[in-house]
Amino acid sequence: MGSQKRIAKELHELVESPPEGITVKLADEDNLYEWRVFMDGPEGSPYQNGKFQIKLVLPTEYPFKPPTVSFATKIYHPNVTNDDKGSMCLGMLRPDEWKPSSKIGAVLQFARQLLAEPMPDDAIEGRIAEQYKNDRKHYDEVAREWTRKHAS
Amino acid sequence: MNIQDFLAFDPETDTDHDMPVDLRSLDLVSGYDSHLMCPICHCPLVEPARLQCDHVFCQKCLRSAITTFRSADTDDFPCPSCRTPTSRISTNVPRLLINMCDEIQVRCPFLAEGCQEILPRGHIQSHVDRYCGYRLMPCPEESCDKKTRKKDLQPEERCLHGYYQCSRCEQDVMEQDYEDHEKELCPSLEATCVDCGTTVPQRELQGHVDQCPEVLSPCMASKYGCTTKIRRGELATHEQSCPLVSIAPYFEAQNTRLDSLELKTRHLQQRNEIFEDGLANIRSTLLESARTGGRLGHSGESGQQNQADDIDDSTGMSPISSSNPTTYLLSLHESLREEVSQMTHALTDLDARASMTIMNECLRIKEDMAHTNAAVNSVRMQVQWLMNPRLHNSTRTGNMRGASTAGNDTTRTQFTSTSAPGPSQSAGPSLGPLRPRRPSDSGREGTKL
Repeated sequence: MGSQKRIAKELHELVESPPEGITVKLADEDNLYEWRVFMDGPEGSPYQNGKFQIKLVLPTEYPFKPPTVSFATKIYHPNVTNDDKGSMCLGMLRPDEWKPSSKIGAVLQFARQLLAEPMPDDAIEGRIAEQYKNDRKHYDEVAREWTRKHAS
Repeated sequence: MNIQDFLAFDPETDTDHDMPVDLRSLDLVSGYDSHLMCPICHCPLVEPARLQCDHVFCQKCLRSAITTFRSADTDDFPCPSCRTPTSRISTNVPRLLINMCDEIQVRCPFLAEGCQEILPRGHIQSHVDRYCGYRLMPCPEESCDKKTRKKDLQPEERCLHGYYQCSRCEQDVMEQDYEDHEKELCPSLEATCVDCGTTVPQRELQGHVDQCPEVLSPCMASKYGCTTKIRRGELATHEQSCPLVSIAPYFEAQNTRLDSLELKTRHLQQRNEIFEDGLANIRSTLLESARTGGRLGHSGESGQQNQADDIDDSTGMSPISSSNPTTYLLSLHESLREEVSQMTHALTDLDARASMTIMNECLRIKEDMAHTNAAVNSVRMQVQWLMNPRLHNSTRTGNMRGASTAGNDTTRTQFTSTSAPGPSQSAGPSLGPLRPRRPSDSGREGTKL
């Protein structure tokens, strides 16, 4: 019960004053625990002009358990799994690093920051991370291509 | 206290209120400082507790956090804010914090029942317990499971949930709602529109009056002087032809301009007042300095005094003579400078005169001294001349007397030999008959001017 109130409050805040490039709504009006997030690719990154859909699922134990963030839109990124799930690897979302005082808004802003600056050392897709580190130009090209194909 | 004690002790559940208010679900009216928000439930802190790392949470939230995060065999858990391992919890938080949380203004939870009360969060529990007439109470009839507002319950304490049939509309109405139904809600209640004469259900009357085409309503431009009042149906045609309506936007624009200009004027007036105050201050200081300056200045300088009088007069007048103080100050400065130069002249004059007199005196004294020196020298010469034969005599007699009176003689010889150089010694009393004439007397007589 306590979690619902907090979630409603955070949702209200995010809808009222959304962070830059991020819009939030409920996937289903009756279910507070599943959110749809639309994120604009940050300027200056190969994801620019892309519009990415993110699924954010909150556990019933929220805020004691971290939410899970996954990309519904395919994205070429070292920290997002290149499969149907599109799970995102965010340090602050790991169960042992999650803090109940973290807010969803902060999580989303952090995720957007990760689009602008991938963290190849903390990668989930080793191949893309390798390419990002060694062949930046080619990585940019592919990421741009994928953005055009899937996220526009 | 340690974690086990903390988990066992729960002030929120163990209360003696028959209807505990959930402080987290209250509707907040006033804003509150974000530092008063529990990072876990995102509500103003309720029964706060403090960890070793100084982070504060609601006790209830902290309890849930501990049960989620603590591994079974350890007696510490990570702080939900900074993850510092913590084993001790203090429920003793600063009174200030609790007071600030209790001061947040909230709505009574029975707003839906009609309670409009807004009061500090700290008082809400006692309000619900004791004073709120809209609180829902269980029906006194045991077989009835419905609830009644506390104030409706008051006089006879009976079940108000029986149904009655409305005598007019034949609808079944619960007893507790009957009064409202009879007065307002019953569809059979009708009212007649004063203007068009149609009858409408009473509860729709207000809506009807707002729209009724027969109601006389004023022209849109009434505030700009159009006195026409016609039926609403014909208002549109009137407004099309009314010259005041077409000119209304212009008036409005002018009004806003006037408003902004008035605002500006007010600002300027304020500034003007400030400047005038400053000016008055400057003038009063000037006047003061003029007075003291007038006293300093010589009374003979009549021109200056006249000027001071002028200033006295001008202060009583309007600020037209605002340049007078400055010119006066300048003239005052000029006259003071003149005076100073005069004084310098006088000083140099005096200096010259004094040095002249000093020099004159000096010359005279020097002359005197020369005279005295000369006299003293001549006296010395005379004394020596007088003493010489006597010295001769004494040495001769000393040799003649020989050893018989040797002791006596030696003293005399000694004496005479010592007394010879200075005339002052010669006045010694032991000399007796040998005392010479005092030559200095005559010498002094001679040198006196």
